[in-house]
Amino acid sequence: MADALIEVENLCVSFAAEHGRLLRAVDDVTFQVAEGEVVGLVGESGCGKTTIAKCIAGRVAPSAGTVRFEGRQLGLKRATKDRRAIQMVFQDPYSSLNPRMTIRQVLSELLRVHRLVARADLEERCVQLMALVGLPSDALDGLPSQFSGGQRQRIAIARALAVEPRVIIADEPVSALDVSVQTTILRLFEDLRSRLGLTVLFISHNLAVVRHLSDRVAVMYLGRIVEEGDRESVFRDPRHPYTRALLASAPRLHQIELVRPTVKGEPPSPIDIPTGCSFHPRCPRATEVCTSDTPRLERVRTSAVHFAACHFRDETSPEAVQGP
Amino acid sequence: MTPILEVEGLVVEMTRHGVAFRAVDDASFSLERGGALAIVGESGCGKSLTLRAIMGLLPSGGRVASGRVVVDGVTLDTAAGGRGRGHSQRQRMSIVFQDALSALNPVATVGNQIAEAPRHVLGFGRSASRQRALELLRLVGIPDPERRYRAYPHELSGGTRQRVMIAIALSSDPAILLCDEPTTALDVTIQTQILALLAELRAERGLSLVLVTHDLGVVSQVAERLAVMYTGRLVETGPTGAVLATPRHPYTAGLLAAAPNVDAPEYEPLAIPGSLPDPLRLPSGCTFHPRCRFATPECATTDVRLEPVGPDHEAACLHSDELATTRAAGNRG
Amino acid sequence: MSAAITASVALIEPEPEVARRPSFKSRALHNRTFMAGAVMTTTIVALVLLAPVIGRYSPVGQDLLHTLSGPSALHWLGTDELGRDTWSRLLYGGRTDLQVGVLAVVFPFCFGVFIGTVCGYLGGRLDSIVMRVVDVVLAFPFYVLIIALVFFVGVGTHGIYIAFALTDWVVYARMTRSGTMVARTLDWVAAAEGGGLSRARVLWRHILPNTVTQAIVYSMSDIVIVILAVVTLGYLGLGIQPPAPDWGSMITDGQNFLQSDQWMAIMPGLAVVFTGISLSLLGDGLADILRPE
Repeated sequence: MADALIEVENLCVSFAAEHGRLLRAVDDVTFQVAEGEVVGLVGESGCGKTTIAKCIAGRVAPSAGTVRFEGRQLGLKRATKDRRAIQMVFQDPYSSLNPRMTIRQVLSELLRVHRLVARADLEERCVQLMALVGLPSDALDGLPSQFSGGQRQRIAIARALAVEPRVIIADEPVSALDVSVQTTILRLFEDLRSRLGLTVLFISHNLAVVRHLSDRVAVMYLGRIVEEGDRESVFRDPRHPYTRALLASAPRLHQIELVRPTVKGEPPSPIDIPTGCSFHPRCPRATEVCTSDTPRLERVRTSAVHFAACHFRDETSPEAVQGP
Repeated sequence: MTPILEVEGLVVEMTRHGVAFRAVDDASFSLERGGALAIVGESGCGKSLTLRAIMGLLPSGGRVASGRVVVDGVTLDTAAGGRGRGHSQRQRMSIVFQDALSALNPVATVGNQIAEAPRHVLGFGRSASRQRALELLRLVGIPDPERRYRAYPHELSGGTRQRVMIAIALSSDPAILLCDEPTTALDVTIQTQILALLAELRAERGLSLVLVTHDLGVVSQVAERLAVMYTGRLVETGPTGAVLATPRHPYTAGLLAAAPNVDAPEYEPLAIPGSLPDPLRLPSGCTFHPRCRFATPECATTDVRLEPVGPDHEAACLHSDELATTRAAGNRG
Repeated sequence: MSAAITASVALIEPEPEVARRPSFKSRALHNRTFMAGAVMTTTIVALVLLAPVIGRYSPVGQDLLHTLSGPSALHWLGTDELGRDTWSRLLYGGRTDLQVGVLAVVFPFCFGVFIGTVCGYLGGRLDSIVMRVVDVVLAFPFYVLIIALVFFVGVGTHGIYIAFALTDWVVYARMTRSGTMVARTLDWVAAAEGGGLSRARVLWRHILPNTVTQAIVYSMSDIVIVILAVVTLGYLGLGIQPPAPDWGSMITDGQNFLQSDQWMAIMPGLAVVFTGISLSLLGDGLADILRPE
């Protein structure tokens, strides 16, 4: 396996909530992202995936645990070259670009400040960045308000690429886009990854997209990773009831029968995480032991690259090995 | 049996920067009693405006330029906004919006918001409307209704808020529920619950449903009829199963091919070439022709209309037969 | 990666051309409110600048033979109780008042915007301290504060400048502070910071251009507020000292003659109103034009 480019170890991020209580957004999370890999981080709202992204990108400080890049520990304050190395692409194309700066201004500022190209080559590099994301060079003169959602995301990607990062953290980059535009952006990610050797941490709640793009997948619930592994192992034979529920609920084109909800109720507030396994109040498989004993993220017996945080992780999923 | 909702030739005009354009152009469809119709399309295709026009809730700058909306045999006065409509007209239909947090009154308890229609529209007394609100909270699956009655919208989770919206919509005892992207803002596990709730309400109360969404994966579970919109026009309508299995309009086929398949990771989604046109500068003839691989010169000059292509299945395409025969394996669920 | 960027060809089908946004000039010319405000303001400024040319008399020259005369061919707007030509006094008074109005706003604008942006961005102790000072200033009724300061510092234009410098900045500070606090949470600021740009640069080149437009629009009405304050101070005898003309003292003087010779008070009053409306229209029009959509 290639060297781990990003290592997150026992990461905890908590915020003070009302009445002196603690909101655990991220609770003891450990995972790695190897160079050139695409890791999909999946989960519903409030599971902590965006907080992890912000931690890795240096926008939020860990309350405990470490984030390492190339072996070096990174915090809120980091060397410029480390800051450049990890770039984010955000979800909302309508608030991710400065409404008053033209695209050329945005890109050339980054290129100049970091002295990435000679002054004389600035314009050419801007044009190349636009071409890289499939936009014409006269887009450089435009203001964000003149572009559609999909075009803005392409611009956001061009901006992230301008500083020549090693890792791109994409936080729900296609969720706000129409399905055909989504496909274009996903293709762009795939192509950029193979051409530029990018490492991508892809955050999404859309399982179909994650399955299409990722090499490895980590599923989060209430601040913890509940399942992690090689993409196909996780999707074909999910070993955590939450993963199974997510898969079952994923919209499918030819799903004629109504999907029966297998999971009751809604996720509790992260201020009030249930004891034992945090998923137990909603879990169809929960038993007595689940209410008191917190399961750890451990390897499932049948695979070296598949981990689940469930007492019943070695039970095969009832719908395992689904194919086309 | 007369359909419970009939829309004929609806044209909605919007004004942007002083220029007027047709955001919905000649939309016609009907909804059977107890049936469910899904209107699908990408952003800006006019599907939400269609619902709003039916409800009389068009934003300022928008107006119904022509067309008829008939609810249970009664033609609605589309020019009048919600307030101008007769009491009984309003009662027959309710709308559920996408974002419950912005659709609900932040400074009123959810119980009071649900009780509002029974109290002020149906004429119930104070305690009777409270009782009704509690009943509705139970009906939409909110546990502990007495306590939740006193909650404010921001105190509730997304799924619960959406259930509250549905309860409010049901409080005036409508025959038709219009839903504008009701589950788009929700997590997928909650989405399943809300869709199950809508199906239950249909089965138990004989509600008719019009569901607007951009998510084709949601459609097949909920609606037995499907209408596809593009740039304000209906391009295909028919039974959901038939339309999804054998689309007869290249745009529908394009949408189907563009979605990644959660069960088949090796499937490579295909983007529809080009991009959505500016509504102020729509292509002539069939508005989809610049992006269509079946397009021929006559597509740009003919005013294409919905034509039957199968049992109860219509498509607005000159090449719908060609599409049926040359369709690649495409996306299978 | 640099090599890879240079070497790569368009990876996906390039999109067709992008809609052009009309230039600032074009938007400005087409905005009716702005044009109305601009035309009116230009007229006023032109008139007062041309005072030596079109004002036919000295504003302080007295003509005791022709006191309190109505509008006539000799004196277009008549004369006041000392025989001074009202029209000339109006023009020269406008010079003084407009000058004071604009200059008195410059320091509060610059300082207020600066401190508001810094506080909004950095937060913490600095923000708390500055906001408490703002609260103290705002707690005093505006005119009480101005009058007290003018008394303290001394009457005349310098007193007015200092009084406004000390009190007027708070509005700008509050305004830009909230704008900055909102901008701070937006993704494009996160992207700028994440791109390795220094905080100073993010504040100056990214955030400020977005928050300052509100302050610019407000400054237009602020000029009117200052002019009104000068007029009021003049009314109280604390403004521009005689015999220098200014609209405030003209109104005060004219007040004694409202029954018989109304034009003495009405003309400067109308001048204030006209100036107020034109600056207001200009401000509204600017708000429309400066919006980025």
